[in-house]
Amino acid sequence: MGKRKILIIDDERDFSDVVKMILESTGKYEVTIENDAGNALYAAIRCQPDLILLDVIMAGKEGPDVAIEIKGNSHFKETPIVFLTATVTQQEVDEGGGTIGGHAFVAKPSSLDILLDSIERNMVSA
Amino acid sequence: MKYRQSLKVLVVEDNLIDRRILESMLLETSNSTSLLKSSDSLAGALQLMSQYSFDVVILDLNLPDSQGENTLLKLNRQFPSVAVVINTGAYEDEVGIETLSFGAQDFLVKGKYNAYILNKALHYAIERKRLEAELVNAYRKVKEAQNQLIQSEKLKVVGTLASGVAHEVKNPLATLLYGIAYLSQNFSERDQNVDSVIQNMKQAITKANDIVTDLLNFASLTSLEKKKENIDNVIRNALNLVRHEFSRNHITVVQKIEDTLPQVMVDKNRIEQVIVNLILNAVHAMPDGGEITVRAYSRVLSEDLEDMPQLRRDEFKPGETIVILAVEDSGCGIPVDKIGQIFDPFFTTRRGEGGVGLGLSISKNIMDIHDGCIFVENKQNGGVRATLIFKVDTVKGGVLNGQEENLNYR
Repeated sequence: MGKRKILIIDDERDFSDVVKMILESTGKYEVTIENDAGNALYAAIRCQPDLILLDVIMAGKEGPDVAIEIKGNSHFKETPIVFLTATVTQQEVDEGGGTIGGHAFVAKPSSLDILLDSIERNMVSA
Repeated sequence: MKYRQSLKVLVVEDNLIDRRILESMLLETSNSTSLLKSSDSLAGALQLMSQYSFDVVILDLNLPDSQGENTLLKLNRQFPSVAVVINTGAYEDEVGIETLSFGAQDFLVKGKYNAYILNKALHYAIERKRLEAELVNAYRKVKEAQNQLIQSEKLKVVGTLASGVAHEVKNPLATLLYGIAYLSQNFSERDQNVDSVIQNMKQAITKANDIVTDLLNFASLTSLEKKKENIDNVIRNALNLVRHEFSRNHITVVQKIEDTLPQVMVDKNRIEQVIVNLILNAVHAMPDGGEITVRAYSRVLSEDLEDMPQLRRDEFKPGETIVILAVEDSGCGIPVDKIGQIFDPFFTTRRGEGGVGLGLSISKNIMDIHDGCIFVENKQNGGVRATLIFKVDTVKGGVLNGQEENLNYR
């Protein structure tokens, strides 16, 4: 089984760089970064991700709008999206069993284990 | 203006003749006096006033046990709502006028009045007292409204600021946390120091995150999930969350929780947050260990709310059932000059030790939106008592649970 592809859509460059580094260091993932929310769909088409990590509050375009745009494309109907955002606390996420309103969430900041666990749980097995 | 048909009058006069004159005049206009009591001392007068509720007191200032304006001040202090007419000696007009500035409603000069004038003076005095009380009340309400306005404006600003700042701070914290995780995985030369430094950095990030989370809580107090809850469960959960603090700080916890507490409509997470906050405050107040007592009991408010003077009369009614939750510590207490500020946002006695000063002001907000209240006071024998009051909305609860239960309350 090859590496699973993850697309990070987040306008915080430092953050997305670190996440890419740490996820790739596990040897399991190949990570693509898109810092411009306006390019999100284009980036998804290019990278064909198995899972998308999506920020909520971004310059230009908000995360939920990006999610609607990507999910609205027939290629990505089944692609899991995990919201990785500072707008929620990990406590709220844990209370919802990892989800809020049916969507997968990981709070910023939260431990690496929580992020890895959420990715594994939401990734559709190949 | 409402004209009073009958008066309840207390005569305080040590001169027997003057007293008899007054009594006979008051009885002459007998349709006006429904209750008449007399005393020749201030102590006797105060005693009678605690037994009967008088409309007006006719007071001689110079009594065996109290002289001059002090007599009036003492009486006013204990019974601020009773109208007072001063009975001065002859040729003491100036003294009489002066008494008005000490809180008397009118004065009479001995030998210069008759039953008719006396009767009129008493009625005017009562009416003046009533207007004065109305004025004081109106002033208090304006003052309260103003304070609330200032407070809510302050909170609004803090709220907006908080959510913005929290978001901006959490992002770099997330970068740091994952960055540290990466470094700790990839550090080739491992020694103990590296591990402990990494641990310290993680803790620092967690602490910073806790602080901004507190700030965020401020901004998101609008959505509540209120349900009928057993407050003892909420207390248990809260105690569980902070259990490790007790052993670490040599603190024993005593629980005095009534068995059959009525349920209350609360957002249990928010109330848990309040209780945790009060307990942590108590823990911090006792750096050398001590005892925390958590009490919970219910009671029906008495007719005059005298047993609960902190409750606002426009929000709590006599006969209403309330649940009271108190957290008491055996610590050093709150300095008297600080006690007025404890609910102010960002007021803390632990600046530099991790205190942000939002705990109590968030707690107050949470209690406010539960239509409850919170007060914090120094106990007489040392330590602090923080009290939460919850309304038990029996009628609403009855309607919710069906008509049958509702009928039982009648």
